[in-house]
Amino acid sequence: MSVLGTSSTGAPHAADGAAASTRKARSAEPGQRGRWWRFAVLLVIALVVLIPILAVVGLSFRPALGSGANDSFTVENYITVFQQTDVLTWLRNSLLVTLVTAVVAVAVAAPAGYVLSRSRSRLVSGYSMLLFVMQSLPVVTAVIPLFILFAKLGLVDRLVGVMIIYVAGALSVATWMMAAYYDSIPIALEEAAWLDGASLFGGFLRIVLRNSLPGVLSTAIFSFLVAWNDYLIAVVFLRSSWNYTLPIGLETFFQQNATNWGLVMAVAVVMMAPPIILFAFLNKYFSVGGVGGALAGR
Amino acid sequence: MTEQKKYGPAGGVLASGDGGQAVRADGVVDGVRRARRGVGRAGPGRQPQRAPLRKHPVFGSRTRTLLAFVLPSAVLLLLINLYPVAYAFVQSLKDGSLIAPGHFVGLHNYASVLTDPRFWGAARFTLVFTLVGVFGSWLAGLGLALLLRTRVPARGAFKVLLLLPWVVPVVVSATSWNWLVATPQSPIPTLLRHLGFGDVLFLASPLLAQVTVCVFKVWISFPFMMMMMSSALASVDASVYEAAKVDGAGPWQTFRLITMPMISRTTFVSWILMTIFCVNDFPTVYLLTGGGPVGSTRTLVVLAYQTVFQEFQTGTGVAIAFLMTFVLVAISVVLYRQIRKVNIE
Repeated sequence: MSVLGTSSTGAPHAADGAAASTRKARSAEPGQRGRWWRFAVLLVIALVVLIPILAVVGLSFRPALGSGANDSFTVENYITVFQQTDVLTWLRNSLLVTLVTAVVAVAVAAPAGYVLSRSRSRLVSGYSMLLFVMQSLPVVTAVIPLFILFAKLGLVDRLVGVMIIYVAGALSVATWMMAAYYDSIPIALEEAAWLDGASLFGGFLRIVLRNSLPGVLSTAIFSFLVAWNDYLIAVVFLRSSWNYTLPIGLETFFQQNATNWGLVMAVAVVMMAPPIILFAFLNKYFSVGGVGGALAGR
Repeated sequence: MTEQKKYGPAGGVLASGDGGQAVRADGVVDGVRRARRGVGRAGPGRQPQRAPLRKHPVFGSRTRTLLAFVLPSAVLLLLINLYPVAYAFVQSLKDGSLIAPGHFVGLHNYASVLTDPRFWGAARFTLVFTLVGVFGSWLAGLGLALLLRTRVPARGAFKVLLLLPWVVPVVVSATSWNWLVATPQSPIPTLLRHLGFGDVLFLASPLLAQVTVCVFKVWISFPFMMMMMSSALASVDASVYEAAKVDGAGPWQTFRLITMPMISRTTFVSWILMTIFCVNDFPTVYLLTGGGPVGSTRTLVVLAYQTVFQEFQTGTGVAIAFLMTFVLVAISVVLYRQIRKVNIE
C-alpha cells in the first residue's frame, strides 16, 4: 500500500542509466537528445533554486569590510566566529537537543506506530484521528500555556524543556511514518514468532523492529529536522545565552554587529551543515511518501 | 473489500476491542485469512483452532502490552498538546497578560478580535499565502518529480540537491533571502536596476512583499511535495504505461488519464498536510518580513504572536490563535474523513 524508501531505487537506476548511455552512444536513439535536454533544464532549475544556499556559502568565505585581508577567499570569518563568540556552545546545545529528540521520538513513536499499523479497533482509529488533529494545531496557541506550565515545573530556559516539546511536535508524523513502514512488513512473520511462543513485545522487538531500520532512520531524520530547524520554541523558552541553540544564536549577530554578513553567513553555514551532511549520506533511507498511505489507510 | 478491511492484515488477532469476534469469525473471513496466510483448508492450518484455547491469558496481557505501547505517546499528547489547548481556551476568556492571570471577561476578546480590521487583513493574507503555498509547491514538486522519473544524467545528485531548500533551516534561508532582496543595494534589486527595471523594493512595497513571502514559501515547500509525488509515481506500475504506449496514447493523455488518477490519493493527502503546514507557519513569514511592511504580510499566526509577545495582550492573542485553530481543526477533521473515503487502490 505505502511506498517507503522508494528513493533507495536511485542507485540501481543510476547504474541503469550509465549502462544505457554507453548502449545509446552506439545506437543513437532519439531519446538521447531528450535526456540531455532534460538534464539542462534540471541543471538550470537546480542552480536557480540553490542561489540562496550558494550565496550563504560564498559570503561566509568573503573577507569582512575593513579587514586587513584583501584576498577574495578567507576563512577569517570562521576563525572569528569560533574564537570570539559562543557558536561552539550553541552548536553543542543544538546537537544535544536534536539527537536526544530524534532518539526519544523514535522510541515513543515506534511502539505507537506498531499499534496503529496492526490493530483496527475503534479506539485505535480514534487515536489516529487525535494525532491528526494535534498535528493541525498551531504551535503559537500552545506556546503560552506551555510556558506557564513549564515555568511551574522549572523547565523554562532548560534544554530538557525544549526537547520535550520537540518530541511532542514530531510525534504525529513520526508515528505515521513508523506505521507506514510496518504496513510493508507481512504479519505472517510475527504470527510465526507467536506460535513459537514469543510474546507480543518479543515479536515486535525481534521481528518487526529489527526489520524496520529504514523506517526508523526515516523517522529519526524527520525528528532531527523538526528539532534542528525550529525557531519559535527556542526563542520563547531559551533565555540565557549559554542555553541558546543555533537559530537563536544567529539572531544575536543581527543585533550586535548590524550587518557583518561574513560572520552571519559563517554561522549560517555551521547551522546548515549537519542536516545537509545527514541528507547526503542517509538520503536513500528518507521518505515521507509513506505518510500518505498511513493516513489514508485507516 | 470491506470485509478484508475490517479485519485488516492483523485479522483482529491484535485488536483488543473486537479480537474475540475475529477469532469466532464466520466462514468468509476465515477463508480470507487462510488465503492470506497461504494455508488451504486441508493444509496444516491448526492456528484457528489453537488460538481460542490460549485466548484468555494471552489476550489479557496483549491488551496490556498494546496499552503500554501507546501510553508514552498518549501522555505526551495530553500534556504537551491537549492541555495547552484547553488552557488557551480559558485564557482567551480572560483579560490577563503574560504575568497576571486576569479576570473573566466572557467573549469580550473574541468580539474585539472579530471587529478588528487587522484580524481580517491577516485572515485574508493567510488564505492567499496558504493557497499559493499549497498549489504552487504542488505544481513545482509534481513537475520536478515527473522530470526526475525519466532517465536523466546525474539524477541521484539532482534528487538530493533539490531537497536542500526544505532541509536547510528556515532561519538560514530567511537570512539569505533577506541578504538577496531586502535593501536597494542587495544583489537582486541591483541586478534588476541594471536590467532597466528601476528600483524594485521587494520587501518595502506591500504587494511585492506579499509576492516575495509567497515565493519564499513555495521555495521552502516544493521539495516536500516532490518527495510525496515521487513516491506516489514510483508506486504506479510501469507496465500500465507500456500498455498505454502500445494503445497509442500521447504523453498528455497518459498523464491525464493514467498518472493523475493513480496519484490522486497521495495528492489529496499532500494538499491537506501542506494546508496545515502553511496556516501554522510562523518562521517563514516572521523571519523574512516580520509581518510588514504596514502589516501586509501578517498572517494570523504572526498576528497572534505579536499580540501576545509584543503588545502583551495574552487574552486577545490567544483568542486569535484559538479562532484560527478552531477553523483549522474543523477543516482538517472534515478533510481527514474525506481522505479515508477516497480509496483508490
